[in-house]
Amino acid sequence: MNKLYNKYEKEILGILARYPAEGKRSAVMPLLFLAQRETGYVPTEALSNIAEITGISETDVASIMGFYTLFHAEPAGRYRIQICTDLPCALRGSESYLEQICEKLGVKEGETTADGLFTVEAVKCLAACHRAPMFQLQGDGEIKYYEDQNVEITMQIVEEIRHKVAAEQEA
Amino acid sequence: MADMVTLKIDQQIVTVPAGTLIVNAARKAGINIPVFCYHPKMEPVGMCRMCLVEVGYPQRDRVTGELVKNEDGTTKISFAPKLETGCTTPVVEGMEVRTTTEKSNEGRKAILEFILTSHPLDCPICDKGGECALQDLTMLHGPGKSRFIYDDKKLFAKHVPLGEMILLDRERCIQCGLCVRFQHEVVDDPVLHFYQRGRSLEIRTYSEPGFDSIFSGNTTDICPVGALTTVDFHFAARPWEMERDPSICAHCAVGCNLIYNIRREAKSGGKTVIKRAMPRQNEFVNELWLCDKGRLGYHYVAAAERLTQPLLRKDEKLVPVSWEEAYQRVEDKLRAEQVRLVTLAGGRLTNEDLFNFHQLNQSQNGKAVLYSQMAGGDLTAQIGLGKGSNFSDMGKGTAILVVASDLHEEAPLWWLRVKQAAQRGAILIVANARPTRLDKFANHVLRYEYGQEAATINALLDGKGKDEFTQAAKAFSEAENGLVIYGSDGLGLNGSEQLVKACAKLLVERGYYGKPNNGLLAVWDKPNIQGAWDMGFHPDRNLKGTLREADVAMIAAADPAGDNPILAQALEETDFVIVFEMFMTETAKMADVVFPVQAQIEREGTYTSGERRVQRFDIVLPHIEGPKSDYQIAAQLGRLMGLSTEDRSPVLVMNKINEKVKGYQEITYSRLAERAEQWPLISRADSYYAGTGYENEYGVGIQISSSADRGEELSLGTLILVEPQEEVATGIKVVPVTALYDRGQLIQPSQILAKRLTPQVLLMHPVLSKKYQLQDGDQIKVKVAGNEIVSGVKLDADVPQDVALVARSNGFPISSPVFVQIQRLVPEPEA
Repeated sequence: MNKLYNKYEKEILGILARYPAEGKRSAVMPLLFLAQRETGYVPTEALSNIAEITGISETDVASIMGFYTLFHAEPAGRYRIQICTDLPCALRGSESYLEQICEKLGVKEGETTADGLFTVEAVKCLAACHRAPMFQLQGDGEIKYYEDQNVEITMQIVEEIRHKVAAEQEA
Repeated sequence: MADMVTLKIDQQIVTVPAGTLIVNAARKAGINIPVFCYHPKMEPVGMCRMCLVEVGYPQRDRVTGELVKNEDGTTKISFAPKLETGCTTPVVEGMEVRTTTEKSNEGRKAILEFILTSHPLDCPICDKGGECALQDLTMLHGPGKSRFIYDDKKLFAKHVPLGEMILLDRERCIQCGLCVRFQHEVVDDPVLHFYQRGRSLEIRTYSEPGFDSIFSGNTTDICPVGALTTVDFHFAARPWEMERDPSICAHCAVGCNLIYNIRREAKSGGKTVIKRAMPRQNEFVNELWLCDKGRLGYHYVAAAERLTQPLLRKDEKLVPVSWEEAYQRVEDKLRAEQVRLVTLAGGRLTNEDLFNFHQLNQSQNGKAVLYSQMAGGDLTAQIGLGKGSNFSDMGKGTAILVVASDLHEEAPLWWLRVKQAAQRGAILIVANARPTRLDKFANHVLRYEYGQEAATINALLDGKGKDEFTQAAKAFSEAENGLVIYGSDGLGLNGSEQLVKACAKLLVERGYYGKPNNGLLAVWDKPNIQGAWDMGFHPDRNLKGTLREADVAMIAAADPAGDNPILAQALEETDFVIVFEMFMTETAKMADVVFPVQAQIEREGTYTSGERRVQRFDIVLPHIEGPKSDYQIAAQLGRLMGLSTEDRSPVLVMNKINEKVKGYQEITYSRLAERAEQWPLISRADSYYAGTGYENEYGVGIQISSSADRGEELSLGTLILVEPQEEVATGIKVVPVTALYDRGQLIQPSQILAKRLTPQVLLMHPVLSKKYQLQDGDQIKVKVAGNEIVSGVKLDADVPQDVALVARSNGFPISSPVFVQIQRLVPEPEA
């Protein structure tokens, strides 16, 4: 049928089986998630693939992707460090925390580290005000919360991930 | 009759059908509740909040359920503490709505202030300036000042093309979603949608080509701001500088009502020119919409190479002469004894032209031939769509059978209206040789092989055959009302004749004729084919022979020589050819006399649409020096031949038509100008509902009665079918189909449509292409009837496996199914 389908046929059939045959459009969200899992963003080609699978227009698929901030249209690092900078977090120092993280990683907000591993993003409320500063890590098809952060703890996490990736590459 | 509900709006007592929304009830009472996101042709969404009003409901005692009374005996009304959206709230009995109280005024003001926080206020460079709902409503209801910071306005690139026809200005967008909903709900081209949200929200298209919809122009009308505008009208003029002239679209048989906006301008050397075409409301025909061909395909009117002087062949050359000399020459020819005259007329001529040509022709015992490849105009005149029919009234209880027609390409507005009827519950049966855009909405989709059109209808009549045929036959026969819409997909004149007979038989046997929303509807390819039939012109199965044998051929609004080399050869054998044309066509080049004629927009006249609605159009542009109307020239010639043909005004010709032509008794120009009450009640004066579309001030036309409507005896002729003879030929069978954006004379000059024109290709199924070792994109030489044409190849799995398709008016001299030889052209190796 198309690239996405051929690659993940079994998984896609599994997703489609969750919905009635005439409601294939309901599968858009899990399919977008599937398309994003590998590269961390949804390439334009995947949009048309999903459109073909679900029988809705590419524009409609893109609109759904665009509505949700956890779907990304542009490539970035393998992991996105998404730091909440909304008001309660800001009151607990998230702005300077963001600045320092950027400095340590040698990037500006929105940029990706030279090794292609991390992108730092400032985001809106993640509903963890009581444990601010905090960030969420999006990558490898997963989303994890890291709360009660400071620069040292976060950089430790960063280093751990770097080690993990290095070990992966050696193996 | 629906249940009626009485309520009070601003002290006015209003009675409307139950379920009516508050905004519509108010509009009917002459009270305008401002709206942006609401449109009466779409589902309400309540997104913009502009229509906030105070709504009070009659209070009931919780225990007894009785209405609570005030001291003075009136019903106690309890108002909701907050304002409600008038566009989503249906009226209820006893409701009271207040639209002008301080509270509702405050609400409006706040919403406008809020909308304007991100609006650039660039009205001076905005194409919508002067006809903008946001501008008007801000003047009426808005705050004069904003409390927000000007520098915080969102900034986006301006005038971003969504495809070649429509421009998007994201800064101006107020996120009402009308364009998105129009594309999804109304025309089923879901190629526009929101992307992102909040202040980052923008309209995007991902289709290829961008904004791929044949109805895209309508979004620029309903857009309440200047976010969507046409490339065609970009920086072209200001609305208040332009005049409006009503006309009828000449591209197909629907007869959409439109307005041409014109302006006299220095840019065009002091000439008056058309700046744009806009829809004119006619709820019987095109509602509030136009297809893009009608809206953007008007540029042919300004095409340069117009003929301005009569031409006469002298010493083998066409030379300009005076009108007198040209008339004299024709008179001499016609007066010669026993002249065999043939008058060949095209479907772009008006009823008045055709009537006069017919008079002239008849006086010489000539043959009146219609230049068309579709049959059945005599049958539509007898059992055609009954008087009083309106697609908008069709729904449950009506069965619509569409056969041999890709309506989306052949008559976009009918496609839209049939689709909507089906969505309202009409039984839709679509029978075609290949999939079309209407299949999706059909209850029954029937497939046949090209050549089996009539047999398919017969199968429906017998109710025998494959399962889906018996089911469709049953569904069609059980309806209260039934109509058959037949087109010309893959048909020539012979096939068309067989098909229409079968359709007529089906309708007669089922009793679906002689009443509203019943009968036969032909999808003619030209605006006035029905009028031509009514005035006495009929297509000729042996046009080649007829032309060859003629002594004198009068050819108007037709270019047989340009369309088909075989007809060009035939014309060479005709002794004397008189051509009435705007341009130097191939036929005109072969003529002995050429009369220059006016374009539709330079003159007035009437067309009879496929639904047999006679509609009048007015002079839009002052005519260029020289040409005359066809009816005038025909009348002059008639007078020279001793007839009393009318050449003073089309009005007077119509007065003769209504005396002499059946069905036209009720038609006079003044009656054609009668308006009708229409809903939605739109108006540019208060920029309500239709955006920049125009209300109909010029008359909605008159649908003429069929013979069956009048109770006359029908003479349908023999409806017994002749089994089509299987042609024995070699090569590929090629059938002609209609493409909306063909390469015809009327569409080529519209540069804006250039990229969307149908490619010059043979469309074939991959299986067939394999047989000939062809691939998508190959160049081939097509041998047809002694001619060779170089063409492309395009593969399409929707095409039946044993035929190839070509679009009409696309460079192929193919007007009926034909066998052709093809040869692959091997590209020259690059040096």
